[in-house]
Amino acid sequence: MAHSKLGFNEKRQTFWGWILISPLCLGLTLWVAFPMGLSFFTSLTKWDMLSKAQFVGFKNYISIFTEDELFLKSIRNTLYFTFLSVPLQMITALAGALLLNSQVKGKRVFRTIFYLPSLIPLVVSSVMWLWLFNNQYGLINYFLHSFGINRIQWIDSKEMVIPSLTIMNVWNIGNVIIIFLAGLQGIPNDLMEAVDIDGGTYWHKFRYVMLPLLSPIILYNMIVNMIKCLQLFVEPYIMTNGGPVNSSLSFVLHIYNNAFKYGKMGTANAMAWVLFILTMGISLLIFKTSTLWTYYEGDK
Amino acid sequence: MKSKFFVFICIFVLISSGFCFANGQKETSADQVTLKYIYWGSPAEDAAVKQALSDFEAANPTIKVEPMYLPGDLDGSTYNAKMKALAVSNTLPDVGYFRPEEFGNYAENDYFLKLDDLMARDGMGESYLSQTWLKIKGNTYGAYTAAECQVMWYNKKVLEEAGIPIPPTDYKNAWTWDEFVSVLKKITVDSKGKHPGDATFNAKDIVRYGVSYDLWSAMYYPSVWSNGGDIIGADGKTVYIDKPETIEAFQNLADLMNVHHVMPRMSGGTNISPLTMLANNQLGFYVTGQWTLLDLGGMKDFDYGVAALPIMKKPAQIYVSGVNVVFKATKHPEEAWALQKWMMDPSKTLDLYTSGLWMPTKKSYYTDEKDLAKWLNNDVHPQGFKEAVVDSMAVAINEPIKIRNINQIWGDYLNAAVESIWIGEKTAQVALTEVAEKVRKSGLLQGSY
Repeated sequence: MAHSKLGFNEKRQTFWGWILISPLCLGLTLWVAFPMGLSFFTSLTKWDMLSKAQFVGFKNYISIFTEDELFLKSIRNTLYFTFLSVPLQMITALAGALLLNSQVKGKRVFRTIFYLPSLIPLVVSSVMWLWLFNNQYGLINYFLHSFGINRIQWIDSKEMVIPSLTIMNVWNIGNVIIIFLAGLQGIPNDLMEAVDIDGGTYWHKFRYVMLPLLSPIILYNMIVNMIKCLQLFVEPYIMTNGGPVNSSLSFVLHIYNNAFKYGKMGTANAMAWVLFILTMGISLLIFKTSTLWTYYEGDK
Repeated sequence: MKSKFFVFICIFVLISSGFCFANGQKETSADQVTLKYIYWGSPAEDAAVKQALSDFEAANPTIKVEPMYLPGDLDGSTYNAKMKALAVSNTLPDVGYFRPEEFGNYAENDYFLKLDDLMARDGMGESYLSQTWLKIKGNTYGAYTAAECQVMWYNKKVLEEAGIPIPPTDYKNAWTWDEFVSVLKKITVDSKGKHPGDATFNAKDIVRYGVSYDLWSAMYYPSVWSNGGDIIGADGKTVYIDKPETIEAFQNLADLMNVHHVMPRMSGGTNISPLTMLANNQLGFYVTGQWTLLDLGGMKDFDYGVAALPIMKKPAQIYVSGVNVVFKATKHPEEAWALQKWMMDPSKTLDLYTSGLWMPTKKSYYTDEKDLAKWLNNDVHPQGFKEAVVDSMAVAINEPIKIRNINQIWGDYLNAAVESIWIGEKTAQVALTEVAEKVRKSGLLQGSY
């Protein structure tokens, strides 16, 4: 009974459907689509925000690859940070979630301790870690010193600055643990019992039951975390200003410098689009290869 | 039907309340003028400026001043970012501080009110130091807020304990660089009481340092000039960074940290403020901007002194300051100019000078004995301030803010190169020669305003 025209009821429902999603549509247009379009057009110009914009075509895109040394350095720093942070975060969060899932005493206390850091605003924790990492008077070096270990230059040294930011990031994994925990608690008990009946150990439970069933969640967390890490800005901006010697200059910090410090809005927007394409590329890569290792319930 | 009616009522209420809100923004009285004054600084400076602004309001009952305070950031990047956002959105304040390195750019793009006619009408040209007025292409667009410079404070107790005599205060007869370094070595001590140069001195365990230099662009110039070097010529085209004298100056400063271990390493972000270290007897000398006197003077029971800057080859000094401007977009130019004049007049805002924040720009406060005493004779200004600081302004060179793209040259090239010298990764010879070439090839040397 396929009618080509909509009946009265369907028309009303369609009308109200549009009304109800109109705020979301408006929001997406005004605050996502429109700025993205404007950003793309700005990336084709040279604009210092004070004088009129001049159209230069794709020159900005070419110049950031050929003339700007710091651009490649910032990409390298950001990728180093991402590929160091994301696996470390995943492993630590998974370990934490396994701990919280087991029948350990004081589970509630651990849950609070693990989740508390993610409630602290990033700026506040940056300032706090600035003190913790302080070479002379920081708490971490104080403890190392009292154990007789030499003071480590955390954010003051070129080699240790990105690992220091990674430590900060791993400290902040409360959200990820909660998501893993939810996934673990969704694993049906009869599967775990089946391993027991077959004479398997905890390791077998982990390897053959938990990991496969958790794989969609691992994929989700990996992508979300990776996007977050590629957009690293607050910590370098507050703690190191990209130093020492630009070794913690993250991609977004470089974009910020170009946009607001040097008045090169066109170049900054071009860099932002490059970041967008880079993020999309890595995400697509992960998605495409994910079919090899993720297992959704109901699949073979 | 009922639900549709309900929804329409809600939308109507929302829209009408929007109108009411918009209407409520109009000014209540016709002749009340509100000015927005933007400024930066430490919390102490915030309090001092707010006091000056409310004194102005008291003297001018029809004018209200809304202070826009931006907490102090050393290199001004936060301030510049905010200023750009305000400029693009047409919500600039009426009058206030402006970063010197962006001054030329904004002046050229016609954001400031031309002050020449107002100055002539009110007879301001002659009574102020000639360096005060900032001209771009022959038109005056701003005035230096104050006559600021570099100074060296010291902790009297620390020097006594280390057995150092009172440092010279005559800027022409200060310590030589070598004398200065040997004094610093006597002050620097590790947890076992050893000094740099002693056999068992542990550089990783220092409890008291000799000196700390504020390490940002304006603070390098006096040392560089004192050694006969320079960074970029006033023409905005010649690079002097790789001049041997410049290289030697930077190496001298770096050696304080890495060779003599008399200066703590400061990281790129914030660290324990050297002012705190000075007050806690963890530091002997502190080389910084003159405006820090405001914070020093506010510390209870802290006995500090001022010393003449050490001389590498000849005495040198920098004239560095924020710029006071009136924005062209202001709706009340007369009132804004009145506020500008007020903030520039030591007789109206004497607190800002006696507290140590600013040094005056009005000539009489240097040449007239009575006026000089008005701002110098108090507990805040230590003995010898006149010979060490005020008189040194005779050799002061302006911070080179009229060079185009100077902000980006420092940000993209010089800062990183200089940082690599501080952390000991490269010698000044290598780092500065490399960066000089890069700057020459960068295309940023486009002359001056």
